[in-house]
Amino acid sequence: MSVDIDKTGPQDAKPAGPEAIKAIPVRHYGRYVSAVLAIGILVSIVYAFSQGRINWGAIPDYFFDDRILDGVVETMWLTLLSMAIGIIGGIVLAVMRLSTNPVTSSIAWFYIWFFRGTPVLVQLFLWFNLGLVFEYINLGPFYKDQWSDFMTPFLTALLGLGLNEAAYMAEICRAGLLSVDEGQTEASHALGMSHSKTLRRIVIPQAMRVIVPPTGNEVINMLKTTSLVSAVQYYELFKQASDIGQTSGSPVEMYFLAAAWYLVVTSVLSVGQYYLERHYAKGSTRTLPPTPFQKLKAALSLRSLAR
Amino acid sequence: MTTPMVKAENVHKSFGHVEVLKGIDLEVAPREVFCLIGPSGSGKSTFLRCINHLEQISGGRLSVDGELVGYREKGGKLYELKDSEVALKRRDIGMVFQRFNLFPHMTALENVMEAPVQVKRESKAVARERARKLLDRVGLADKAGNYPSQLSGGQQQRVAIARALAMEPKLMLFDEPTSALDPELVGDVLDVMRGLAEDGMTMIVVTHEMGFAREVGDSLVFMDEGVVVESGNPRDVLTNPQHDRTKSFLSKVL
Repeated sequence: MSVDIDKTGPQDAKPAGPEAIKAIPVRHYGRYVSAVLAIGILVSIVYAFSQGRINWGAIPDYFFDDRILDGVVETMWLTLLSMAIGIIGGIVLAVMRLSTNPVTSSIAWFYIWFFRGTPVLVQLFLWFNLGLVFEYINLGPFYKDQWSDFMTPFLTALLGLGLNEAAYMAEICRAGLLSVDEGQTEASHALGMSHSKTLRRIVIPQAMRVIVPPTGNEVINMLKTTSLVSAVQYYELFKQASDIGQTSGSPVEMYFLAAAWYLVVTSVLSVGQYYLERHYAKGSTRTLPPTPFQKLKAALSLRSLAR
Repeated sequence: MTTPMVKAENVHKSFGHVEVLKGIDLEVAPREVFCLIGPSGSGKSTFLRCINHLEQISGGRLSVDGELVGYREKGGKLYELKDSEVALKRRDIGMVFQRFNLFPHMTALENVMEAPVQVKRESKAVARERARKLLDRVGLADKAGNYPSQLSGGQQQRVAIARALAMEPKLMLFDEPTSALDPELVGDVLDVMRGLAEDGMTMIVVTHEMGFAREVGDSLVFMDEGVVVESGNPRDVLTNPQHDRTKSFLSKVL
């Protein structure tokens, strides 16, 4: 539909656009008041803690202690490995639960029912004490040992946390798989792709957008849940800190120290999660969200407060 | 007499207690453009989906290029095909959906390359080369690197056609390919389909585009409530319908 207009169209006209509006912006007085109030409360809380009967000097003394650093490394390893078991197990269980085969879906249902329904601490003790039921572990010619020697604290911790996590991850993954439009599966099948290829190439990559955020939550949860494995004599951050606390006579201080380390690791993990989410947003949004760095820059420009 | 590309004999399909197809008989010859029209709920999309076994028929016989869909016949008995055998047959049948169903996490080019690389084990270089040619053919050579969310509906549907063609099918199924498009974008998609028809592709098209059916179609079937009401040359059926049901439908859509 082309309408003939004379050649002095908007392009040719002088750029005498409308003048920018000069108006007094709405003042957000409430923001200033609440910011002052919040800072005031924070300062008074910090002051109260600094005046308490807590030996703050002990924390920097031990912050980079070898035992604490060892504990941090062990905690991170344990988190990483048990999450790996959890995620792989979770995807397998989710696929099993959504299967049309009644046997596999029932097995998955039962697994999830059991591992979600019992406390993880009890599960840890169960693995630790399974020697009461199976005295030996016997894998024919490959391996034979007493259960109590085989089940080291590390293996107990790994199995206990990982298998428990798999049950939770299964539900997260199932939600992710269900979130992908059925038309995607149909289109893939119509092209001659097999079930497993459809899952791997088409459905799971799209499900990841739904799976990643709650999984980030699970990782952070796991990081802190690892403190439970001190109960089965595994030396991770929490166990190391409480041991130091008992020998150095500043137990509460050492718990604060451990908490500070958990906060540090959590912060690092949150940044990682953000980039992972950006990766899986590929194709779903027209422009990728800003990186935390870009966000920080924007937040630091004072205009955002006044706006 | 050549083998028909698609042959349906008394095809029935039920979802639970609801019978959607109540005995469909039709034949589609090779190189034919076969149009299916009818009101929504008449079973035309369901029938189309039966042809590549996205739905399983519950009665009758349906064959593509002389081979039964979903079954193997041996000694007078029918054996259900395994999933892998069904997948093998689907390679030769391209399908284009109303809602495009492009893979949103892949670029247009990757969408077209996916099946040849993953299913036919073609090398990426070969697949990429042909994918570029196909995108060029549907007029989207410059959109190869775009994700589906960055394309208009008409562009997405043309990528979807290129994706189906990448498997070099002998039969193309179109399930209301222009129904989800803005009116001004319909023409581009129909042009691509017209080009395909001229190249001799066998096509079954479920459509509401009567103009396309009249100009491009070789045969036309009007379906209603799970049965074929009327069939024949598109120009004859559309201009001079014999049944009252066809007349009343056409008076509403033309």
